[in-house]
Amino acid sequence: MITVLKPGLLMTIQDRGRTGFRHLGVAQSGAIDSYAMTIANRLLDNDDNDAVIEITLGLAKLQFNCDSSIALIGTDMQAKLDDTSIYPGWTYTVKQGQTLTFATARNGFRAYLAVKGGINCERVMNSRATDLAAGFGGTTGAALKENDTIPITPYSKSWPKLGAISPPKRSLIRLHPSIHTQLLSQSTLDEFCAKSWQVTPQSNRMGVRLQAHTNQLAHSHSLPSLAVNPGSIQLPPSGEPIVLLNDGQTTGGYPLLGTVISADLYHFAQLKPGDSINFCYVDLATANAAQAKLNAHLQQLAIALKNKH
Amino acid sequence: MNSQAPVSISILSSNSLFLDATHLSEDSLMTQKRIWALVSQCKESNAFLDIVPAMNSLTVYLLNTHELAKWQTTLATWWDEIDAQQYQGAHHKILTHYGGEYGPDVDFVADAHGLTPKQVIEKHSSAHYQVLFLGFQPGFVYLHGLTTQLHTPRRANPRTHVAKGSVAIGAGQTGIYPADSPGGWHIIGHTDFSLFNCHANPPSVIQPGDTLQFVCLESTS
Repeated sequence: MITVLKPGLLMTIQDRGRTGFRHLGVAQSGAIDSYAMTIANRLLDNDDNDAVIEITLGLAKLQFNCDSSIALIGTDMQAKLDDTSIYPGWTYTVKQGQTLTFATARNGFRAYLAVKGGINCERVMNSRATDLAAGFGGTTGAALKENDTIPITPYSKSWPKLGAISPPKRSLIRLHPSIHTQLLSQSTLDEFCAKSWQVTPQSNRMGVRLQAHTNQLAHSHSLPSLAVNPGSIQLPPSGEPIVLLNDGQTTGGYPLLGTVISADLYHFAQLKPGDSINFCYVDLATANAAQAKLNAHLQQLAIALKNKH
Repeated sequence: MNSQAPVSISILSSNSLFLDATHLSEDSLMTQKRIWALVSQCKESNAFLDIVPAMNSLTVYLLNTHELAKWQTTLATWWDEIDAQQYQGAHHKILTHYGGEYGPDVDFVADAHGLTPKQVIEKHSSAHYQVLFLGFQPGFVYLHGLTTQLHTPRRANPRTHVAKGSVAIGAGQTGIYPADSPGGWHIIGHTDFSLFNCHANPPSVIQPGDTLQFVCLESTS
């Protein structure tokens, strides 16, 4: 068991999230940086979909009430196991009674903590992911708070020290073309790609909201509701785009500027308010090649780890 | 029937396709019935992670990205062949307490249309509604069939708390709040019918394409 001493800005239990229920209005939820989550689980020889703890910004503290082995991936929050610094990308052995403290993220926004054997909370609709808006999943259906306990299986055997390199950050996000080109006009889409966009403080797990110093993207179009999903980029009448993330709703009535390619979506996990990004449209072959490259990276990791576990 | 109307099927992403039928027909309900029939056919294929109907459109998320082009063609073929009448959803009776403490806005809605509260309740509970699709939050159903005589602009000041089970009218729509939430619709009644239970399978009894009616349990007048 782990006890939450300080949850920080937002701490939740996540796995890959829910599929098969979007027609009932159920969001995906799940780790925003699913790639980091997968690496963390693989370093511990867990199932790829085992639940992990998603830590936002830092300022958090956890106490282990049993022995465990952990993997920490994602942004560097200057974490310390008791008084010893630990670094993202590596596995560590934890003894009963030790505390894990996170200071503040400097270059990113989210970190992922996996424990050997995964987090044991009950599955709801085939997933342990916390759905914050609907109030189910995780241990309590809500964000973790002070004195909450997180069920894990003790692991006292030694686990090898293993590390994995995460792919570099990207600030040029690749998109599938808009299905609303005619409605929005090509000049709108051109302007969207020409500008640098800043992440606003109103961003959260539902979506990253963007603004530019000046833009001409305001409009008055309203559409019959259509399905949206993580990666859909909505353009509300204000002209300030929203990139929907894991907790985003299932349907919406705003025109879409495009869809983030699957290989680039995890980069949004590390964007914090004030960060700047750009967009470009790519074809299907480029999108598929980018995903294949990510998959190959994970496959290489699996092969490299095979002899170490 | 306009079974040969061209439908647009666009690629949204490496694993998703968007079938847009919003431009096809004067009769959006007839189009929606074809969407439901197509949903039913898609389910049987076991090729999709998610099949999400919305307003005169359908988005499918493929299990296998290599099949994107194949499904773009297949969906178009199926659309042309589909018969709107071949889909029959379930029918649900929503037992509803109208008015009084259950429906504090019945008088407001009545006044807005020059009706008595009793007439509002009769008009609301005598219609058969079609479940167009679900969205917004788990279990929230978008219904077709509210008589124009009850269309009422949303409240100027949304309530910060609307109880789960509230039956309400907002502009041209009527619906049921599946969970406690803020809300700007006029509350005319309450039902104990459970729209969403995350521990049940399926979690929502009501599915796109179903029909429902509100059954009046009692009224204030």
